[in-house]
Amino acid sequence: MSTLELKHICKIYPNNEKKGHHKHNNLKTTDEGVLAVDDFNLEIKDKEFIVLVGPSGCGKSTTLRMVAGLEEITKGELYIDNKLMNDIEPKDRDIAMVFQSYALYPHMTVRQNMEFPLKLRKMPKEEIKKKVDEAAEILGITEYLDRKPKALSGGQRQRVAIGRAIVREPKVLLMDEPLSNLDAKLRNQMRAEIIKLRSRIDTTFIYVTHDQTEAMTLGDRIVIMKDGVVQQIGTPQQVYDTPVNLFVAGFIGVPMMNFFDGELIKDGMKYYVELNGVKIELSPEKEAKMAAKGVEAQKVTIGVRPEHMELTQREGQMIQATVDVSEMMGSHINVHIRVQEKEGVMIVDTQGNSNRNFRMGETIQFTFEPAVIHVFDAEGKNLEVKKEL
Amino acid sequence: MHEKNKKNGIIGSTFLTFLCIFWIMPVFIVLWNSFKNKNSINLQPFQLPSNETFVGWENYGAAIGKYGLLQSVGWTVFITVFSVAAILLFCSMCGWFITRVKTWWTKMIYVLCLFSMVVPFQMVMYTLSLVANMLQLTNPFGIIIVYLGFGAGLAIFMFTGFVRSIPIEIEEAAMIDGCTPLQTFFRIVVPIMKPTYISVGILETMWIWNDFLLPYLVLDLKKYKTISIVIQYMKGSYGSVDMGAIMAALILALIPVVIFYLSCQKYIIKGVAAGAVKG
Repeated sequence: MSTLELKHICKIYPNNEKKGHHKHNNLKTTDEGVLAVDDFNLEIKDKEFIVLVGPSGCGKSTTLRMVAGLEEITKGELYIDNKLMNDIEPKDRDIAMVFQSYALYPHMTVRQNMEFPLKLRKMPKEEIKKKVDEAAEILGITEYLDRKPKALSGGQRQRVAIGRAIVREPKVLLMDEPLSNLDAKLRNQMRAEIIKLRSRIDTTFIYVTHDQTEAMTLGDRIVIMKDGVVQQIGTPQQVYDTPVNLFVAGFIGVPMMNFFDGELIKDGMKYYVELNGVKIELSPEKEAKMAAKGVEAQKVTIGVRPEHMELTQREGQMIQATVDVSEMMGSHINVHIRVQEKEGVMIVDTQGNSNRNFRMGETIQFTFEPAVIHVFDAEGKNLEVKKEL
Repeated sequence: MHEKNKKNGIIGSTFLTFLCIFWIMPVFIVLWNSFKNKNSINLQPFQLPSNETFVGWENYGAAIGKYGLLQSVGWTVFITVFSVAAILLFCSMCGWFITRVKTWWTKMIYVLCLFSMVVPFQMVMYTLSLVANMLQLTNPFGIIIVYLGFGAGLAIFMFTGFVRSIPIEIEEAAMIDGCTPLQTFFRIVVPIMKPTYISVGILETMWIWNDFLLPYLVLDLKKYKTISIVIQYMKGSYGSVDMGAIMAALILALIPVVIFYLSCQKYIIKGVAAGAVKG
């Protein structure tokens, strides 16, 4: 059993300190310095897989390093298994970490690398050997045990790094962008292996990435961060279905969600959005949520995912768009369009449209289901979400 | 094309062979002169020993017996080994510390170390010998401290340069794996820094072994002499110069350095290559 609790965690770098890879541009500054992580709150259940995701410089790695004990926690409290960990040395926190750069010990063989944490804990030799062999078996690196890290490929090195982390059976396994240094194909493969690995070892995971695909596929829950502030915490489905603001909406999903300028019209209890002269009524569910919040008519940003848009000829629902570029992807076509000077992408299934040619400058008509769109106010907040997290 | 390369190769090899012979000649001249009698060393220094001029091990006997060369070899080895060991241990720790702990005073230490490399020895040597006297460092134990001070500049410069190239994640991984700072240093950082230890070790060994002025100024010469001082003493202050003994002493002084070089040759070349091509 190992649970984690992060309470009001803050990281403040003094202003005079130069931090190489942190850009402070959008971070909040206080009298004490730059707020790299601002009031981070999260309860992690036993054996949960949490993914921290966000663009570079958003504070996700800093948060992870504070959990690891590599960075001091400026404010707030960190509990592992209900024990306050703020001032405990990394080695006494019973955590393990996998680094982006693998951080293998170059002078040791793979076996020695994996034995190292166990030796430091003065474990009996036979037991060490058993555990290392087991972990190597799981990760498929048995045949490389006597090689030095420099004789391994990137993917193999990352397996060794994971092996070194799991032999100890830590309470919490931290992973800091472990797949970023691998090429695309290997990354997909390793991602699948991490999912498999998870079912074989019982531990709590915290995984940092800037890649939303990794976040969506791996996480039980995703924490989306921006400029040191948590934007949304939820399951992959939740953050996909109801992003709380424009940032989350744009960050989750590939290709990115389209944003169009429109208007929210209120007519009694009914809500409509107007886009490019076409009025579409929102789904009853959304209407109920907005009515409960007392949302008034206003200028809004309408968010529609490319996969939720479709070509149409239905009267009254045809939204005009101009084609910029089309990309044939085999199973579908990515059509880059322009609606009132706003650029967007829509995905058109090739089935039934295989002979369809999208020429530059051509006018097309599209529509979307009212249930799958998102309406954001001028501040970028989702109008149907009750309150900010 | 192939033909031309071959021809160039032959010319190059011949040239380099002559260069090598030219280079090593002085050593051989000293070697064969060490087996000749005094007169012929002075009159025909380039001639090989003949039946008349050959004196066997006599010069070596004189160098060892009369001038106490063996004792000075002992002291030189003692001073060199322990000074280099002290420099390697303390300077690597210092280099690691001032790279990883960034405060104004670690920066100061680094700048001071660099500064000490710029100041010529001749500028500080008289004050140094005075201070050494005051602190009673005029023995082979005390001089180790003096060497540590003078060697630190270059050593710390080289160690900091190398530590900067070690990714900090490796040390962080060690900390998470359960290392204390000392364990991190000795079990992780030291093995990674091996090439730098060897380069610094070789440089400092060559310097301390061959150094004349510093021990001459600092050591109590009545009790302790290093090899270079003994050879200087052989020249005598009354005009009589025992060239035979000098030649023998030079050869004896050379042997340990040659052995040292041959045994470290692999690492010297490796060290140079490691610096040149980043693998």
